[in-house]
Amino acid sequence: MDLQALKKLEHQRRVRYGYMWALFCAILWGLWYLPGTVVWVLNPFDEMYAEIAAGSGDSIALLVTAVLITAFNALTVIIALMVWNGVLGKFGEMKRTLVEFKPCSKWFFLASIFGGPMAILGSFIAMGFVGAAFAAVAALMYPVVGSILASQWYGEKISKRAATGIFLIIVGGFVIFGGGLLTELGSGNVQWIGYIGGLMAAIGWGIEGAIAGKGLDIAEPDVGLTLRFLGENIIWWVIAVPLLAIAGFPMIKYALMAFEPLTIMVLVFAGITFGFCYVTWYKSFPLIGVGRGQGIGNLYGLFAVLFVILFFGDVPSWTLLLGGAFCLAGSFTMFSEDTSSLESLRGD
Amino acid sequence: MANRPIKFRILELFSDEQSHWNYEIVQKIQKEYNQMGDFQRDSINFDIIELASGGMLKDTETKVDEEGIYKKGFLLHKYVITDFGKVRASNVCFVYV
Repeated sequence: MDLQALKKLEHQRRVRYGYMWALFCAILWGLWYLPGTVVWVLNPFDEMYAEIAAGSGDSIALLVTAVLITAFNALTVIIALMVWNGVLGKFGEMKRTLVEFKPCSKWFFLASIFGGPMAILGSFIAMGFVGAAFAAVAALMYPVVGSILASQWYGEKISKRAATGIFLIIVGGFVIFGGGLLTELGSGNVQWIGYIGGLMAAIGWGIEGAIAGKGLDIAEPDVGLTLRFLGENIIWWVIAVPLLAIAGFPMIKYALMAFEPLTIMVLVFAGITFGFCYVTWYKSFPLIGVGRGQGIGNLYGLFAVLFVILFFGDVPSWTLLLGGAFCLAGSFTMFSEDTSSLESLRGD
Repeated sequence: MANRPIKFRILELFSDEQSHWNYEIVQKIQKEYNQMGDFQRDSINFDIIELASGGMLKDTETKVDEEGIYKKGFLLHKYVITDFGKVRASNVCFVYV
């Protein structure tokens, strides 16, 4: 094989790896919805919700319970990531990166603020005050925010083709959740705070991606991601949970009650799927860019619905088929792009 | 030397504005950080690929690894730091003039 052909092959392989990582991210993210949904009806979270709802109302109960669930989610994620980094032998690199706060790890801590309290809590707010379909659709908008930021801030190249692909996948998401969205919006008296929650999710994850892209310039993805979750654990366990406990919510009581076999199993499943969804997300960014990585990652909407159908036996509706077709068209638009211009992801 | 993140050190090695072959850098880092395994070798090479994909390095020369200096039959790349790479290198506090 001659040099040019090998060069082309190597380049294609890099881009293919990037897309593969992003696709794994979408699958794992979709899988995460199974434990993410189930955990709400398990002890002690259902009791917790009931107790707080009796005293402070449903909305507050939802938020406070969401904080505890998200905190446990972050905890199991970091355990999964520690095992992962241990296997890869990257603890040394983690320590070296952690101490470089100013040039490097600050980006990951910033990312954790936008990805954690802003995006995840925003999702829960949207879910609680408007509905699950609205939350899912709102979150689908995050690649728009992410790719605009990445291109404006550090000149990441977004081709027309990639933008078209991202757009088609978002349309697909809208169609998939469309029926539910109309029902939720049509039910009247939707509280505006629900829309704020949706906005928080889209903007939070978009900003997280762009910031992470900045930190990943000079850090290893596996390590950077673990630091990002270290930040999120600090936010939940050192700040949010104690503050809510001081405010009089039964946080500690229910946190201690979470150590039941079934609950722990579901939380561990959530941690593994969420953790590795993030691993693959962060790994795709340096290879294909934040815009494309997030765009393909958006296929999670499709996978989430598919897995819910497979595991919970819900009947798929025609909107899924139509929306899924849009998602596939969008992905194909991106996969089939001539990537020779992607030698570098940044403009000169 | 081996007390900064590997990507920092790679940028630092390129800060002399000379072109370097990827295998030279990989071997150097492997020794400095005492990471002699094949997995670590590939992982360090991947760091270089990510730096190039992020626009901080660009390749100036490629050749097929006929003799198996690094990996037989694969491509060897010679990289040089870009202007953007210099900016990022100076961000991470190297004395860069």
